[in-house]
Amino acid sequence: MIDLPERTRRISPSRLHEILLEHDAASVVDPFMGLPTHLNYLKRHGIAVHGGDLLEWFVRVGEGIVVNDLTILRDSEVAEIVEMLPGRIYSLDLFKAWEGVFFTEEQCVYLGVWYDNVRNLRSDGQTGLAILGLWRAFCYWLQKAQSPDDMQDIPPSELAWSYIRETEQWVTANVRRSTVRQADVLATIGAQQADALFLAPPARNSFRSADARIWMWEAWWQGNPYFTIEHAYRDSLLGARASDPPAYARALATIVANAENYPLLVVQTTESRLNEIEGIVRNARADVRVVAPHPYEIYVVATK
Amino acid sequence: MTLFQDTAGDPRAQRASLADVLAWYGAVGDAAAGNPEGFALRKASVAVSLAEVANVDDADRDALFFAGLLHAVGAIGNAGCRAGADLSPRAVRTLRWDIPAQGARICAEISALPAACADLVRWQAECWDGTGFPDQLRWNGIPPLAQYLALADAFVRAGDPDEALTQVSMQSGRAFGPMHARAFTMWYHLSGGETEPRPVPLDALTPTEGAAAALLDAIADRIDEHTGVAGRHRRIAALAENVAQRLGFDATQLAALAIAARIFGAGEIAAERPEGEEFDPLARLGIEERARHAALAATFARPHAALREAGEIVAARAEWYDGTGKPRGLRHDAVPRAASVLGAAIAYAALDRAERIETAIGTQFDPHVVPALLEAGRAHA
Repeated sequence: MIDLPERTRRISPSRLHEILLEHDAASVVDPFMGLPTHLNYLKRHGIAVHGGDLLEWFVRVGEGIVVNDLTILRDSEVAEIVEMLPGRIYSLDLFKAWEGVFFTEEQCVYLGVWYDNVRNLRSDGQTGLAILGLWRAFCYWLQKAQSPDDMQDIPPSELAWSYIRETEQWVTANVRRSTVRQADVLATIGAQQADALFLAPPARNSFRSADARIWMWEAWWQGNPYFTIEHAYRDSLLGARASDPPAYARALATIVANAENYPLLVVQTTESRLNEIEGIVRNARADVRVVAPHPYEIYVVATK
Repeated sequence: MTLFQDTAGDPRAQRASLADVLAWYGAVGDAAAGNPEGFALRKASVAVSLAEVANVDDADRDALFFAGLLHAVGAIGNAGCRAGADLSPRAVRTLRWDIPAQGARICAEISALPAACADLVRWQAECWDGTGFPDQLRWNGIPPLAQYLALADAFVRAGDPDEALTQVSMQSGRAFGPMHARAFTMWYHLSGGETEPRPVPLDALTPTEGAAAALLDAIADRIDEHTGVAGRHRRIAALAENVAQRLGFDATQLAALAIAARIFGAGEIAAERPEGEEFDPLARLGIEERARHAALAATFARPHAALREAGEIVAARAEWYDGTGKPRGLRHDAVPRAASVLGAAIAYAALDRAERIETAIGTQFDPHVVPALLEAGRAHA
């Protein structure tokens, strides 16, 4: 059975929004966006948001709930995602490697069907919404593998249907242009200009202990059950080259130094990493304060 | 002016007054959110009972209680909760997602509350699978206590305990973490789904002198903004207090009237338009509506000792001096003098020409009150 780790950090977009409002920031760049639900919150509250990440499925979801202002998936379109369509040839063995290890045979077949079906959607927005909904069904399966007696047996297509249909509620417009890109941190920082830069940098070597629900979904999206997240991060700034503490600190300092054009810098961290992060930020910014509501949710807020 | 009984520094009395104001705030929040009467107290009690079964420590249970009590205060002022707002169902739903975050900001400003309370309010509607609101937190990112609050909400909302058990088990792994749903099932079997309303944990409050009065003012401001009459209670309170002094009210009567001037607006929390906007305040036509608002505001206040006397004043504010008012048709001196003052001050503040109030002497208003009101009005001008 797969291990689902305790989360070690938390981003509260409503609290981040409060920090942005305090500083009159109307736009924000987040180069480590991850699953961009927090950017969706900020967009819903009128902020122009620009996100970036190295994992493609995060960026695809961003196209659904951050960039997309209008497109939703209607019932008929959801039906074309969750079940096999007559006349279409599916690669049903694509995820057979996961069978018996993480998932049942039926679940692996569905993963193959969904993999094919999302590639036939009409727009990037729809694809992003479908990926998000299907990921939640996937997480449900993994959770159920851990707590089989506590959770309901729901047919895969029904589970996927309900989650995809639900994504409609996150589609929102705020009359501002929002973007997402698949890029390393410095490329994202350099490509955009905004009132604030929000950083939630991964911990040193964190890709080695990444949550299975994250890297397995990238593997699904890539159609490669043998995908490893080290591969995705190999040539990135915080990848293998930053595996020792001095190199990691230098990489973070480089990021903060590249953020000098942003009037407001907000770095999210945890209690255990606060000293390190705060020191790096204080070297680059004159005015730094720490908002620390919880040990796992700390914001270092820096202005010029 | 001292709104609540002079506590002479007695922290127990200060806590009791503040607890009454907080419980009242919770009830008004429920009304704004469209929840049934008593929802907040029941939710708080169930959440604490659940936390006991899960061996949560006392301090966290206290924070959980207050979070349950104040779970809906963010609805006051929320555009999606304003009756009569011309919004699509989707817009209403989206706006209502902000209720927990707004409630958290309110709780964070009340320094007497346990510090953990605000974020429990913020995350009470988060779902285990990340589909909740406002923050879309997922998995262990949601504090267990916030999940207990969500479970309590589901239990109270379901009405029937068995139905609640079914819903929670269906939502295990979706709205609720499997371990939290299991804790709920254990609680259900231990308690039979029966929970008595819990008393407010007074010792968990750390009020400063005057905290209850300051909070009451702040709440009244929020209610006025919600109902579209910003600053109204301040004008009416100042006017009513001036009139009461001219009429020789003693300190206790003055304090009750001052509280009444701050709580009467709660009766309009679910009204589509401000009372004075829909009907001429001197017309008989609006009497049913005024009486309904008065009765609702009194309902919120009566269960709380510190607000009870003011609640009776508010309840009688739509009575007419000639006995043709509502709801009881009290006549002449049977109408509490403070209620006459409050009713007249509310009408006066809504009039386009102040002198018109003289036309209601002896019918709607007490002949002793109106001259004092006109003098007070001139003094304020």
